[in-house]
Amino acid sequence: MSGALSVQGVSKRFGGLLAVDDVSFDVQPGELVSIIGPNGAGKTTLFNLLTGQLAPSAGRVLLDGRDVSGLSPNRRAEIGFGRTFQISQTLTSLTTLENAMVGAFLHHRRIPDAARRAFAMLELVGLGHRAGVRAGVLTLSERKRLEVARALALDPKIVLLDEVMAGLNPTEIHEVVELVQRLNREGHTFLVIEHNLKVVRQFSHRVIVLERGGKLAEGTAEDVLSNPRVVEAYVGKGRRP
Amino acid sequence: MGKPSSAAAPLAAAEARPGRDGQGQVPAGRTAARTPEVGTFARELPLMALVLALLAGLIFAASGDTFTLNILSTAFLFAGLASAWNLIGGFGGQFSLGHSVFFAVGAYTTANLYLRAGVSPWFGLIPGAALAALVAALVSWPVFRLRGPFFAIATMALTEVALALGNYFESVTGGTRGLSIPFRLGFANMIFRDRLSYAVLVYGFAALCLLVVLAVVRSRLGYYLQAVRDNEQAARAAGIDVTRTKLAGMAISAALTGVGGGLFLMSVRTADPASLLSLFEFGVKFALIALIGGLGTVYGPLLGALLIVPLENWLRAEFGGLAPGANVIVLSLILILASLFLKRGIVGALQSAADRLRRGWP
Repeated sequence: MSGALSVQGVSKRFGGLLAVDDVSFDVQPGELVSIIGPNGAGKTTLFNLLTGQLAPSAGRVLLDGRDVSGLSPNRRAEIGFGRTFQISQTLTSLTTLENAMVGAFLHHRRIPDAARRAFAMLELVGLGHRAGVRAGVLTLSERKRLEVARALALDPKIVLLDEVMAGLNPTEIHEVVELVQRLNREGHTFLVIEHNLKVVRQFSHRVIVLERGGKLAEGTAEDVLSNPRVVEAYVGKGRRP
Repeated sequence: MGKPSSAAAPLAAAEARPGRDGQGQVPAGRTAARTPEVGTFARELPLMALVLALLAGLIFAASGDTFTLNILSTAFLFAGLASAWNLIGGFGGQFSLGHSVFFAVGAYTTANLYLRAGVSPWFGLIPGAALAALVAALVSWPVFRLRGPFFAIATMALTEVALALGNYFESVTGGTRGLSIPFRLGFANMIFRDRLSYAVLVYGFAALCLLVVLAVVRSRLGYYLQAVRDNEQAARAAGIDVTRTKLAGMAISAALTGVGGGLFLMSVRTADPASLLSLFEFGVKFALIALIGGLGTVYGPLLGALLIVPLENWLRAEFGGLAPGANVIVLSLILILASLFLKRGIVGALQSAADRLRRGWP
């Protein structure tokens, strides 16, 4: 199990709109890479191309050298992609534990095994005490952590988090940052879409900037965030005196 | 953590340090974190045995009274059929109104094997169930692309197609004149003189359906069906093959429905396609009973059938003579009220009452 992701010239066209334009990058096993960019830059579309919710118009996606470009989302989950969604996708009629079990069933067929695995993941994200509650009543922050737990229960090679901090208060953000950092230290590979630049600076090994579907810059957080072109993409061109 | 990237690392980590990493959310003083109990088939079997024993008691109590025994038999038949429907309709969220097709397929398979080849209906039920499952899988494949009301309407259309085919293939169905099974008493022929034997027969069917539903619901497939019902996108991201899950649920549901069809035709001994494929008598009624009892609950359809079937009989007796269809109007009114005020069915209402009691709220 490693988690080497290779994205090679991936594009996605919706009619006349090129939502993702020839994007290439690699993620090494054990890395924590952030994707940033203004609204509409194509970040979530790129995620959907990686995990199979959308089929790319061109390009290839490889996980540990295996081409997964043509595979369905569920096949990719089996191969090692775990993800969360920008708008949380909780299974609202099931309990918190059962939500995580749905992920755990991928590698644990029996109910008691799946429950044990699922509960361990809930403990990991700090939701153990909410295990028996119907997931529909969880707070936003709890739902986001539940999605992380469900993704981790899949035993993924790489975890993709889509704006997992959005809508959380500073304390909750701090908790999630700590969680992601800890999981990363334990060996999980992460690819994260994040708007909060303070968070990005704090935990990313590497940052990829998207703008209008294309890759604008790539490098360490310091380099990328001081890149004039990135600043321009975010705040617009300054008027020269 | 020696090998942090090993699959078991987070598991081991969480189990080795229970609660400590709860980010302050874990209430102080909480002791070691143990996996909460999850419902399993074995754990819920005693309750099921109790329910089945109570139902057997009902038959015993009514054994001398043919009228009550008949109503009870119909209630058990529909308890089984609604439970079977509930597997894909309630737990799987695929609101099929086409289950009378699988019902008819089972009925005609069992009856034709008996009439033409002399196969005892006891054995004829098995190919009936298999063919019903096969037909269900074949017709559901394209229809599963549709969601919500569109799925329901498409399955309703299937019923109409089946009706046209049923009337056309007279050699199998007897056409509009219907199929008749000669009255030849005998256990092997599944034809009995006394109503008690039929009551026991459909009791067995209801028990089979309840047990199969419980076993499926407390298995991976049961959780996958519910995950698909709640959110297909999330289900896919969790590695679930959505179409395969729906097909599996539909096939099991249809197989049980086919068995019910075989039993029904052998007990009434005469039926035409229009009555077997009647939406009001079967297709919609399976869904209705499950809905009133409690969608996506193990015992809801049973409760629904025990309530609706006698109610229907009573209304027919009380209002049926008043004006043609008066009983149907009253029944419909009751169903509308139930769907307005018992959104989660009888089982749902009982659950919230129990929750309120537990919390000490009046």
